Amino acid sequence: MAPNNWQDSARGEAGYAWLSMHGWHGWFGRLLLTLFVLALGIGVFLWYSRTSNDISPDSIAGYAYAVIGTLFAVMAGIAYGRRRRATKKRAIGQLNASLQWHMCLAVLALVFLCLHSFGNFNPRSGTYALYGMIALAISGFIGRFLDRLMPRLIAGEVSKALTAQGDDRIESISQRLQAIVVHNTAELRGFDSSNTPSSNKSLVPVKSGAALPFADAGQSLQTPWDLAYISLEATPQELSRDGVQYRFVPDKKSELARPGALMPGAQEHISELQEVQQAMQREHFYRYVIRYWRRFHVLLALTTLGLTIWHLVYAAQLLIPVFLHK
Amino acid sequence: MGSRNAVLLHKTGPQVADEIRACIGCNECLLACPALSEPITIDVLNRETLAGPISAPVARYARACFQCGACVAPCPVGLHRDAMMMWLKVRLLRSGMEE
Repeated sequence: MAPNNWQDSARGEAGYAWLSMHGWHGWFGRLLLTLFVLALGIGVFLWYSRTSNDISPDSIAGYAYAVIGTLFAVMAGIAYGRRRRATKKRAIGQLNASLQWHMCLAVLALVFLCLHSFGNFNPRSGTYALYGMIALAISGFIGRFLDRLMPRLIAGEVSKALTAQGDDRIESISQRLQAIVVHNTAELRGFDSSNTPSSNKSLVPVKSGAALPFADAGQSLQTPWDLAYISLEATPQELSRDGVQYRFVPDKKSELARPGALMPGAQEHISELQEVQQAMQREHFYRYVIRYWRRFHVLLALTTLGLTIWHLVYAAQLLIPVFLHK
Repeated sequence: MGSRNAVLLHKTGPQVADEIRACIGCNECLLACPALSEPITIDVLNRETLAGPISAPVARYARACFQCGACVAPCPVGLHRDAMMMWLKVRLLRSGMEE
C-alpha cells in the first residue's frame, strides 16, 4: 500500500520555507552565555591594553588568552565528536545541543586566539594557525548555511521525481510511453496487408450515407469493374492524391511528416523523462555538496590542528630556554 | 568509489511505507540525530511521516533535518530514516505549494 498523498496534510503544518530557522531550541541560552564570555574576554583585553606596558602574545595576558582559546578549540573539537560516538547516557536532543556548543566554543576559541595575538602577526606559524582557525570557523558557518539550503533544494528535486502519490515518476512516464508504443503498434498493424483480405475493413473508406446500388444491409459488395461507364461519380477505388488515406509514405504534405507524428504524445513524455532525470542529477549533486563540505570542514580542522601544533612547537622553542635559565 | 560511499538518492512513497512498517521503534535514529532539538516519539514520527496531518514539532524536525545520514548507520534493521525524512520534507513542500 502506498502512503496517502501529501494533500491530507492540509490540516496540519504546511510549507517548507527557504533557510528555515526551526530547530534552534535552546540556542538562545547558549548564545547569551557565549556573548557574555566574549564580552568578558574583550573587556579584560581592553583593560589590560590600557593598564599594562607588556601587550604582546608572550605576556601573561597573551598566554592566558592562548591557553583559554586553545581549551575552547579543543573542547569544540572533542566534545561534539565524543558525543557523536557515545553509546551510553544518550538522550534525544543531546547531539543537537552538542552541535550548538561546538559552534559557540569555536567562535570563542577564534576570538580568544585573535586576542592572544595582540595584533602581532610576525611569527608565521601563529599567523597561519590563526588563518586556519578563521577558515575553519567560516567553513563551519557556510556548512550550517548549506545544511539549511541543500535539503530544501533536494526536496524540490525529489518532488519533481515523484508523482503525487509518491511513486517513481520515471516508471510512470515509462509505462505511459510503453502504452503509446503498444497503441501505435496496434494501429500500424491495422495497415498490414496480410490482414486485409480476411477483414471486412477496406483501406478506402466507404461513406455510409452514400449507399451504392449493390450495397445491402450495410454490407458493401465488390464494385463491378465497369461501374465507371454507368456513373460519372468517382469510384471507391479511385484514391485522391490529397486524401489522408493516400499518404502511406510520408512526404512534405503528409501529417506524418510532423515531428513525433509517428508516435503521437511520445515527444512530450520523453521531454518529461529528461526533466526528471535532470532533477535526479541535481539531487545527486546537492547530496554530494552536503557530504563533501563536511569532509572539507574536517580536513580544515586537521590542517588547523597541524598548524597549531607547529605554532606550539615554535612557542616551546622560545619558552623552554627562558624557563631553563631562570 | 565503492558502494559504501555512494550517495543514495530518495526513496518512493511505497518504499518509505515499507521501511516504516519495518521500523522496530528502538529510537536509535533519533538518538543519533544532530538536528533533533526537542523530544519526539518514534511512533508519532512514523505515523506522521506516512500520512495524515503533520504536527508542529514533527514539521520543525523535518525542516531542521539536514540529510547528514547519521541516522542510517545505528539502525539495527538497516532502515533509511533520512529517506523517510525526505518524504516528510516533500509532503511539507507540496502542502505549502498547494496553499
